[in-house]
Amino acid sequence: MAENGKISGLQLMVLTFLYTIGTTVLVIPAGLAATAKQDAWLGAIAGVLIGTVVIGLYMGLLTVYPGLSFVNICRSALGKWVGTALGVIYMCYAFIGASTVLFYVGNFFKTQFIPHTPLWCTIMLFAVVVAMGARLGLETIARASELMLPWFLMLFVLLVLTLVPAAKSANVLPVFEVGWKPIFSAGLSFAGTAYMPMVFLFSVLPHVKAPEKTKIGMYVSALLGGVCVILVTLFCILILGPNITGRSMYPSYALVKKINIGNFLQRVEAILAGLWFITTYVKTTFYYYAGVRSLSEILGLKQYKVVTLPCAMAVVVFSLVVYPDVVYMQYWDSIIFPPYIILLGVVIPLLLWIIGLAKQNSQQEPSTSTQNQLDKGS
Amino acid sequence: MLTALLLLLLTLPITGCWDRREMNELGIALGMGIDRVDDKYVVTVQVVKPGQVAEQKGATGAESPVVMYKSEGPTIYEAIRKMTTASPRKIYAAHLRVLLFGEALARQGIGNALDLLSRDYELRTDFYLLIARGATAQEALNVLTPLEKTPPNKLFRSIETSEKAWAPVVSISLDDFVNDIVSKGKNPIISGIRIVNPDEVGASTKNLNTIRPKVMLENDGIAVFRKDRLIGWMSEEESKGYNYITNNVHSTVGHISCPGGGKLALEVVDAHSKIGGKMVSGRPYLSVDVTVEQSVGEVECRIDLTKISTIQELEKRAENSLTRIIRHAIDAGQKKFKSDYFGFGNAIHRGHPKMWKQLQKDWDERFEDALVDVNVQIKIIRTGTITNSFMEEEE
Repeated sequence: MAENGKISGLQLMVLTFLYTIGTTVLVIPAGLAATAKQDAWLGAIAGVLIGTVVIGLYMGLLTVYPGLSFVNICRSALGKWVGTALGVIYMCYAFIGASTVLFYVGNFFKTQFIPHTPLWCTIMLFAVVVAMGARLGLETIARASELMLPWFLMLFVLLVLTLVPAAKSANVLPVFEVGWKPIFSAGLSFAGTAYMPMVFLFSVLPHVKAPEKTKIGMYVSALLGGVCVILVTLFCILILGPNITGRSMYPSYALVKKINIGNFLQRVEAILAGLWFITTYVKTTFYYYAGVRSLSEILGLKQYKVVTLPCAMAVVVFSLVVYPDVVYMQYWDSIIFPPYIILLGVVIPLLLWIIGLAKQNSQQEPSTSTQNQLDKGS
Repeated sequence: MLTALLLLLLTLPITGCWDRREMNELGIALGMGIDRVDDKYVVTVQVVKPGQVAEQKGATGAESPVVMYKSEGPTIYEAIRKMTTASPRKIYAAHLRVLLFGEALARQGIGNALDLLSRDYELRTDFYLLIARGATAQEALNVLTPLEKTPPNKLFRSIETSEKAWAPVVSISLDDFVNDIVSKGKNPIISGIRIVNPDEVGASTKNLNTIRPKVMLENDGIAVFRKDRLIGWMSEEESKGYNYITNNVHSTVGHISCPGGGKLALEVVDAHSKIGGKMVSGRPYLSVDVTVEQSVGEVECRIDLTKISTIQELEKRAENSLTRIIRHAIDAGQKKFKSDYFGFGNAIHRGHPKMWKQLQKDWDERFEDALVDVNVQIKIIRTGTITNSFMEEEE
């Protein structure tokens, strides 16, 4: 279980930022536009607001259980057996998450660039890098994302600046036509994709230097990440219109195809696709890292690194079958995923938080100090 | 040593993938034409011959710069794939410039035909849609023209140039068309092209050997659609009015008659328009506001341009003339085509979303008896490099 490396608060911010954008930026505008039409960007804003609340919850969890990973939080709240069982559920979800994101990557390539290359080939190449990152440890991942951040920012600024001339303001009118309900449900699906999986950052948080100070940083970087996605969604609506955005598999990719500055700077979409590779990499790595960490904690292994390679093989194979087809993928993402992630990302953490608070209160009563030590031991 | 070997192994995936296609394996398609014969699509694709398009010293241009493949199939996708039976290279559509539909197919509806083009990953959305007026798409692609070596490039460039300099022309991309079809408040339109002298042979480089090629292609009129079916053609003046209403005039030239007889041409330097709509006692009440900046371009009458009152008089006449053009265009929409291709419905939707909910189901009928308020403001600011015409002195 040894992870000697420690990451700084700033590195955690970079990770959170890229993690928030993750796959969200590539797929979520379509879902938002399908539910909220031209108000998709309002849905994105609602999503960020909901996300802030979710992060508040996680920060609460961090205060109640300082320095514990998610599996250990479950154990300390629910006792050894129930806690471990819950930990297993989370571990499974981390692996499922890693597999689905790998499928997204492979599917994106197969749909947009290389339809005749087998899926396993793309997925395996990506998985090798992910497994390598997880194996080399948190410090390496954090430094790698620090290195990738300038590239990300550069591409993103380029994206925004080059899209401004093509924007048609009439596309967002009439504002607020769909009403609260679709905007809220769009926001929920956004928060479900971008913020609720952040529960897996609990495998990272114990390794942050001075975690108390990083709380503000978490909020700031998650908000900034959210703003990036809001901007991309807004541009999708402004340029493609709600109809084409809602109908596209990858609306932000359809969006960058529109870049054309003076018939000269055009057809740059393959370069700008670099954006999603960076953010998707961070997201996959985190799912995967959380998965292997949880597994090693559940099994009580001394070195989590021994499971990185076998798990990578399992994840690659699983990603090939995780969605049988893209129609199923969309069904799963829109119908099954939201309640699932709300259960795992909100309801259970909330329960754990309440249990933790209750225990803390009883801890403050001096007469029960022996009981507390028992609690800690379990 | 082992690391070095591993690093070498890592270079393997860089060499390429299953989908690598070298330049000499691509048949780069610039233009595509779709027609329908009985229940089959007839697809024609024009592929560049790279050697002939490249600028060469002393090239006589005896060989045609493009080659056209034609094939039939029950679906467009099948037809395009079937072309590999005739073409040594697989068609590569990422650089498509224009997509032509034969008028006959357009009258049956082109919606289904467009699905492939938005579904296929190779295509971008930066090509223009065109209708071959009174001809098949195949015939229209079959004309070689000077200045631009390939017919699709000619069509692409001339619609781009003409849209910026001549009011009756508009360019429509796939996204525009799809958005219009889906929205309930605007019917789509597509620009038309016409073959001049269709009976002559335009497909040979011989067509280029004369100063005035016998066969040429012209932008001509705008096709009006109801849903995805072509229902008619706007005249030049109606097209002009259409583009003024939809804020699509960048620069153009128009004329007015002088107070004392004769004509005077005005160049539009800048034009902006805004359309709106609301409901007044159960009847749609639409508005068009156009502001235009013009300069005097050609004087063919006796008039004193040095007086302020003359300019004011000209502005008034220009306003009347443009109002008439716009009214005429709207009349055509309301009476002749019975179709709101201007997007007034979308304007109501944007401004009064609640009202639109009741209107949208039978908008085309409601549009027919809508009242329209046209408000034109024209400023004539400059008179070119001279003031009065030198012909003034002869009086």
